[in-house]
Amino acid sequence: MLPTASSAPGQPETAGDRDGRLGVRLADVGVVYDTKDGDSVEAVRSASGHIADGRFVSLIGPSGCGKSTLLDVVGGLLAPRSGTVTIDGEPVTGPRRDTAMVFQEDSTLHWRTVLSNVAFGLEIAGVGRKQREAAAGDIVALVGLTGFEHRHPRELSGGMKQRVAIARALVADPRILLMDEPFGALDQQTRMFMGRELLRVWDETRKSVVFVTHDIQEAVYLSDEVWVMSARPSEFTAKVVVDLDRPRGPGTMSSRRFHDLTSQVWEVLRVESEKALDAQRELEP
Amino acid sequence: MSGSAVTATARAPSRRRPPPVATVRWGLVIGSVLLLEAAARIGMIDPLIMPPPSTMVVRLGEIVAGGGFLTDLTTTAAAVLSAFGLGAVGGLLIGILFWRLPFVGATFEPYLVSLYSMPTLVFYPILLALLGLGPAPIIVIATTMAMIPVALNTMVGLNSISPTLPKLARSLNCSRTQTYLKVLAPAATPLVVPGLVLGFIYAMIGVIAMEFILASEGLGFRIGYTYRAFEMQDMYAYIVFVFVIAVAANVALNAIERRVRRDME
Ligand SMILES: Nc1ncnc2c1ncn2[C@@H]1O[C@H](COP(=O)(O)OP(=O)(O)OP(=O)(O)O)[C@@H](O)[C@H]1O
Ligand SMILES: [Mg+2]
Repeated sequence: MLPTASSAPGQPETAGDRDGRLGVRLADVGVVYDTKDGDSVEAVRSASGHIADGRFVSLIGPSGCGKSTLLDVVGGLLAPRSGTVTIDGEPVTGPRRDTAMVFQEDSTLHWRTVLSNVAFGLEIAGVGRKQREAAAGDIVALVGLTGFEHRHPRELSGGMKQRVAIARALVADPRILLMDEPFGALDQQTRMFMGRELLRVWDETRKSVVFVTHDIQEAVYLSDEVWVMSARPSEFTAKVVVDLDRPRGPGTMSSRRFHDLTSQVWEVLRVESEKALDAQRELEP
Repeated sequence: MSGSAVTATARAPSRRRPPPVATVRWGLVIGSVLLLEAAARIGMIDPLIMPPPSTMVVRLGEIVAGGGFLTDLTTTAAAVLSAFGLGAVGGLLIGILFWRLPFVGATFEPYLVSLYSMPTLVFYPILLALLGLGPAPIIVIATTMAMIPVALNTMVGLNSISPTLPKLARSLNCSRTQTYLKVLAPAATPLVVPGLVLGFIYAMIGVIAMEFILASEGLGFRIGYTYRAFEMQDMYAYIVFVFVIAVAANVALNAIERRVRRDME
C-alpha cells in the first residue's frame, strides 16, 4: 500500500502559472504488473503529458492498453515502476483529497442508500451527518437522481449506479476528476445526455478531468484534448487538440470541424487497434 | 361481423385460487398431530411406544413445573451458546486469516472441508478421556462443528468482494478500520450470516447429541436417560420440547438471514 499523501490545500489558481506547474504532469511513466504465476506484464511503457489546470482530457486506446492503469497511477492507487506523476509540482505518493475517481466497474455500496453512497467520502472525511447529507442531496439532484435518494443500488439501472459513482466523486468538490468509462454501461441516447450533463457541471466548476472512453465522438465532443494510446506496452501516440467552441451543443456534432477531428482520432486509433489485434493473433496457435 | 369476444379487459374464467402455502403447511402439521392422536387413542399405536401427543404436552407441562427442568435447560442453553460464541469468533478469525493469506487458505481449506463432512462426534471418547466428563468435551466438539461453516462462509464472502471496493476505500483515504468496518464487513455479510446460522444449528445439534451419549445433565442427557429408564412419556415430552425449540430457532434465524440478505445485498 502506498503511504497516504497529506492533502494539498488549494494553491492560487491559474494566475502566475507561467511555468505550467499547476495541473497533472506525467513524465515517462512506466507500469509493470507482476502476475501471480511469477510473470510480469509491461502495461505502460512510457507515458508523458501535461493536463493543465481545468483542462478536460480524454484517453482513448485499444482495450487492454493501460488506460485504467494510468488512472490508478494518477489517483495514487498504484506506484509506477518508472517515471513520475506530479500534481501541482508535488509527486503523487498516494490518494489525495483533491482527486476523485469514478471506476470502470460498479463501485456502489449496495447496502447503502443512494444518498448515503454519495455522502460516503464525506463521512470518511469526518463531515457531520447533516452537512454531508445536505451536500449529497445537492449533487444527487445535479446528476438527475432526485426522488431516488433513499433507494438502494439494486433498485437502480446500471446507468443510474454510474451516476451515483459520479455524484460521489463530485460531492467533495475535487479539483481533479479521474473518470474511467463512466458511461460505458449506457445506451447511446443516455450516454449523450450524460455527456451533456457532465459538460454542464464541468463548465460551472472547471475541474481538471481525465476521462477514459472507447467512444471517439464522445471524446471529441467533451474534451479539450484527446490523447490516443498505443497498444500495450503503451505510450501516447497522438494528442489531438480539440479547438471546437464552448459551450458545445447539438450543433457541435454536425460541424465540419467535429467531423475532421473525429476522423483524425480514428486514423491513429485504427492503426493502433490493428497492431493490438495482430499482437493477439500472434499469441494464438 | 362481430369482432372477437375477447377484449383487453376480458378475463379468463376465474379459477379457485389455490390455498396459500402457509395454510397448507400448518394444515399438514395439525393434520399429522391429530392423526397421531387418534391412532394412539384407538390403540393403533402401542402407548408404550408412543403416547398420544396431548399426553406428551401435558407431561411436558408437569416436567416444566417440577424441579430439575430448569437445570437441564440452562445447562444445554449455556453449552449451545458458548459453543456458538466460540465457534463464531473462531470461524470468523479463521475465515479472515484464510482470506488475508491466500497461501494459508489454499493449504488448509481442504482440511476444513473434510472436517465438515466428518462425523466429529467420533472424537468424543478421546476428548472425554482428555477433558473428563463435564461440559468441556461437549463444548469442544460443538464449537468445532459450529466453527466450520462460519469459517468457510467468511472466507468465501470476503473472497467474493469485487476488487473495486477496496480500491474505492483507498481512493477515499479510508483508514484500515474504516475499510474493514464500513466496506469489507458489510460487503461480506450476505454470505457470512448464513454461515453463522448454520453454525448455530450445528452447535445445537452437537451439544444435544453429545449430551445424549454421555453427560450428567442437559436436555439431550434427559432424553437418553428417560429412554433407558423406559419412561416413554417423559422422553417424548422432552423430545417435543427440543423439537419445538429447534424449529423456533430455525424460523427465527431464517427470518434474520432473509432480512440481512434483503438489506445488504
Ligand atoms: N492487477 C493486474 N495484474 C496483472 N496484469 C494486469 C493487472 N491489471 C491490468 N493488467 C494488465 O495490464 C494491461 C492494461 O490493463 P488496463 O486495465 O489498464 O487496460 P485498459 O486500457 O483499461 O483496458 P479496457 O479498455 O479494456 O478497460 C492489460 O494487459 C491487463 O491484462
Ligand atoms: Mg479499463
